[in-house]
Amino acid sequence: MDKVSFKVKKGEIFGLVGPNGAGKSTLLRMLCTVLRPTSGRGYIEGHDIVREATEVRKAIGVVQEKLILYSPLTPIENLEFFGNLYNIDGRELRKKIMALLDDVKLLAVKDRPVGTFSTGMRQRLNIARALLHDPRVVILDEPTNGLDPQSVRWVRDFIVNLKDHGLTVILTTHDMYEIDELAESVAIMDRGQILEIGKKDEIKAKYGVEKIEDVFLTLTGRELRDELSGRLKGRGW
Amino acid sequence: MKGSIYHLYIVMKKDLTEFYRVRARLVSMIMLPILLMLLFGYMFPSSGSITHIPIAIVNQDQSAAAIQVINSFTYMAQSGSTFNVITYASLAQAQQALLQGKIYAIVIFRPGFGQGLQSGAATVQVIADQMNPTLDQIVTNGIQAIFNQLNVQMSLTQGFPAQTGTVSVNFQGLIPGAPSSFEFLAPGFIAMSMVMGGLAGLAMTFSRERELGTLDGMLMTPISRFSIVMGKAMAQAIRGIISGILIVILSIILFGVKIYGNIFLMSLIIFLGILSFTGLGLIATSFVSDQESAQMIMLMIQMPMIFISGIFYPVLQLPWWLRDIAYMLPLSYTVSAFRAVMVLNAPLSAVWTEVLVLIIYSVVTFAIAIPLFQKMVTK
Repeated sequence: MDKVSFKVKKGEIFGLVGPNGAGKSTLLRMLCTVLRPTSGRGYIEGHDIVREATEVRKAIGVVQEKLILYSPLTPIENLEFFGNLYNIDGRELRKKIMALLDDVKLLAVKDRPVGTFSTGMRQRLNIARALLHDPRVVILDEPTNGLDPQSVRWVRDFIVNLKDHGLTVILTTHDMYEIDELAESVAIMDRGQILEIGKKDEIKAKYGVEKIEDVFLTLTGRELRDELSGRLKGRGW
Repeated sequence: MKGSIYHLYIVMKKDLTEFYRVRARLVSMIMLPILLMLLFGYMFPSSGSITHIPIAIVNQDQSAAAIQVINSFTYMAQSGSTFNVITYASLAQAQQALLQGKIYAIVIFRPGFGQGLQSGAATVQVIADQMNPTLDQIVTNGIQAIFNQLNVQMSLTQGFPAQTGTVSVNFQGLIPGAPSSFEFLAPGFIAMSMVMGGLAGLAMTFSRERELGTLDGMLMTPISRFSIVMGKAMAQAIRGIISGILIVILSIILFGVKIYGNIFLMSLIIFLGILSFTGLGLIATSFVSDQESAQMIMLMIQMPMIFISGIFYPVLQLPWWLRDIAYMLPLSYTVSAFRAVMVLNAPLSAVWTEVLVLIIYSVVTFAIAIPLFQKMVTK
């Protein structure tokens, strides 16, 4: 990360985009308190991401690219596990689980191991898990990656629904159409820096284009990238 | 507000449920030690290289004849470098040392030994440590050979008064009856299954959860790193105990193994042993991020540890430098204490050193492992 600075307005959908290796996931991991920044400050809902990590964790719900679910367990067992880690009371937790499973259309399969689910079903459950503790900020890292069109549609509608309920959404995706459809504000990142940030419509107007994809390609280039992962680079590969 | 211990319990319960659901993991946990048990069940190590085996002498007679026989016995035992002879003032002290594994046999000269010798025949009683069949055989054969030699010398009156009788040796073990040879190997196998479960299990579960991304999921919840590590360690400990119990049951059914010791003390030793291994496993794998590397590291630690910790042959058989390494490993203490309790019904007072070492090992390894875990997950 290099001089990354941005603010997300309460209740908006904020799109964070960038090519592979741009630093989006690293930035999100820092915001989620998993990675500790070497310098600088970050706040979520007024809480410092380093000094008040526990408060930040209570405030955020995270849907990562990798599904945070245990395949041998059933949806109920998965949600019960995470709900208990958030100290949600037993009866209240059970009620919430049932309501969320109903919302994500998985009530009928609540007792089946998650390992038997399709990718779309897993992602819906993954979203339910992220919302279990009533977070005020939802961080979604490529939530529609690898899903069929029906599931993609469902996830996108759900994201809009989150905004309608007053939640703040930070969304990263490689799907520029998704950003055009959902995000109100956008930050375009590359090589650890934010190249452009602002209201989506204002950015498009600034560059005189109709799609955010055109701004993206103008700023990050059209040539193919062969980015090595950080771990391999560190080993001198 | 629910605290760290509650979260620890939640993580442990989740790990155990997950483990139970994946039948392949469950089956391998049970099958691997059983397979090894069947493969090695009747294997005996070679014994030629064992020297300086500590044995005790207890003299309850104090007659001149007894002292003379003892001096000759001590001289012969030590000059052949097979034994190191230690004199104990009382039988109780010597028996305690035998249970603690400090000595491997007690040669007792009962009251009236000298008188018996002068009137033609006397008997010495030998209590042998049967915990390792190989060592037991070497010790009993060695002691018998020395007394045979002494009898020859006495009959020829070489250094002994004329008309000295002969000494016969009455061997007895700590365990009543004739124990099955596998009885001595079973405690080692149980400890070995713990190594597989504990040492590899925790490291594997962490690297698997890291690869799957579920570890991040836990790290993003408001629970402490301590709860995550200890919850998983406890799940491993419970798995290890279940695995140990299954092997004990199978050993009883298939090989007629008997348990003489206190079940609770045995469980405590298993529990502490697993905690030591899990801490060690976590330290070893905190430097790698993928399952395969973690597996390789675990294998590198497991294999030598299994072979030098006294499961198959006595630690005494090892060269001094390897013996020193064995005494640095938690498995040596677990095997030694577990054997003593299971086979010899040793009380806590006899194995407290091993128990203490395992407690220290667990505390120290986890004190190192938890901050390392912090570092590992934020890499």
